[in-house]
Amino acid sequence: MSEAFVRASALASALGPDLGSAVERLAGAPVAAARNTKTGGAWPYFAIPIAGDDWRKRAEAIARRVAADLRREAALAPAQWADLPCIVGSSSFSVGAWDEGGWAALEPAFEFSRRLARGFGVRGPVTAVSTTCTSGLSALDIALGLVAEGEFREVLVLGVEFSNRLTVAGFAGLELLSATAARPCDRERDGLVLGEALAAVLVSAAPAPWRLAALATRMDASSVTGPAPEGTVIADAMRAAMAGAHWESAAVDLIKLQSGGGPLADSAEANAVRELFAPVPSAVSLKGALGHTLGASGPAELALLLASLSRGRVPATWGFAEPDGELGLAPSGGDAEGVRRVLFNLSGFGGSVMSLALEKAG
Amino acid sequence: MHLLAPTALRVAPDDFPARVRARFASELRRAGRFAQLCLLGAQACLEAAGGDGPLGVLWATGLGALDATRAALDEGLRRGEPAMPFTFIAMQPHLAGALLAQRSHPVTRTACLYLAAHAWPSLPQLAQRWLAQCERVLVGCVEESGAAGVAHRSDWCLFQKEPVAGAVRCERSLRPENAAAATGEDWIPRVAAWRGRADAPLLLSGGEDAWRFTIDG
Repeated sequence: MSEAFVRASALASALGPDLGSAVERLAGAPVAAARNTKTGGAWPYFAIPIAGDDWRKRAEAIARRVAADLRREAALAPAQWADLPCIVGSSSFSVGAWDEGGWAALEPAFEFSRRLARGFGVRGPVTAVSTTCTSGLSALDIALGLVAEGEFREVLVLGVEFSNRLTVAGFAGLELLSATAARPCDRERDGLVLGEALAAVLVSAAPAPWRLAALATRMDASSVTGPAPEGTVIADAMRAAMAGAHWESAAVDLIKLQSGGGPLADSAEANAVRELFAPVPSAVSLKGALGHTLGASGPAELALLLASLSRGRVPATWGFAEPDGELGLAPSGGDAEGVRRVLFNLSGFGGSVMSLALEKAG
Repeated sequence: MHLLAPTALRVAPDDFPARVRARFASELRRAGRFAQLCLLGAQACLEAAGGDGPLGVLWATGLGALDATRAALDEGLRRGEPAMPFTFIAMQPHLAGALLAQRSHPVTRTACLYLAAHAWPSLPQLAQRWLAQCERVLVGCVEESGAAGVAHRSDWCLFQKEPVAGAVRCERSLRPENAAAATGEDWIPRVAAWRGRADAPLLLSGGEDAWRFTIDG
């Protein structure tokens, strides 16, 4: 069984059209999400700062930019790049095309994913996966298996979520959105702010600075729209990820929280963290800066976190100001010196709960 | 690994509501047709296979939750009605796994894949990987009818590590050139049909991959 590493990553998000600008912006003062008429106008939304009136052409323009960034960083030979298999994770795929073009504009998920992969210039087999907000990590999970078993030496993972009114309307219907801002773990948190992102991660058997040590998946069927309040399934996933990586809980230096500012979901995750850790290690949430990018959130937050750590910084948690005593979590940024083991949490509708163990190689 | 209870379910669209009512009463009113179709086939397969133990649920589709998508877009959003979780596109493809878990099956992980028709070998391959963490993996190929006169289909089988009487041994084949080409639409029905007259191994291919099926024992 081969080990797997992050060879390269790229990201277009509300923080910027590329990963470098996103990391720079994240190191600066927080910027609030604006209301976005393309997603209905009633709710703040983290949009990628790339203009375009036509949904499909804009998506293609974003993809071209991310593909060029990833290709440059990956530095693969052209033939190797062209042969890459591609696993696409999304919860909405091309549903945003309907906003402008109606039913006829909506592509089946697989066709959209194949077109996206071809837009990256890869010609290998394409698979698309949907596990709601964990879709991108489910794609990573498939990639890890392909690399571990020696099927492929490199696998391209894409997490994609482009703006669409239906997703915003769905979350609004469930009363899960904040009318003002995402405040992960904050005493005043009152809901999620959604966002869009296209993230690309190249998983490789070749050693690289960060190893994907273990990925655990669990199912929390207590409700289809939220975790069990006590957080036992989330704790179980984190425990399984640590066991898979052969870590004791004291070895964890940083937890990347799922936390997006939802009152109940943040509380469930905090219960899980407190069950496993005493004292609680440093923690960070990226949803105050990226928004909750749903099916893209796994690769998007992974790319942003690793890029920040490689520049020596644990990013600040935008939107967090006042600790909630009941949560017992106070995410804070700072120096990344000494951060070698990271637990990376994600969960989503339908009960999907995942925890990824990341380890600095060498 | 070993395959149990290959189950090919075909339901005419006009008969579908009655089949769902007969099977689940009103319990599934919040699920779209795609999730209901998944659950009809998955439950039939699990009942035929028996057994217990941690279960992964993995299913593939070409088009996914078409009906739920149409309902959410055309009937809901356009009229300004709130999109609720049962018609919420992000939810529907994945909902069947959660509904199955809520029916007391010990489901530990689920995923809905969108695959090309010839890429069905990804399913047993992924199931084999999941068996490192689950005792059993339920695998399905599900498609809503897209045209008049075409039935909905919901085909499922159960993979497990341990052999049992009546199970089919499944191995990845190193000789795909000798295999008969199959698709996501017909590989489970072909295994089911072959099992009744299994005088020789069954070798089915998809893309550049192939799987070999033999009767256990």
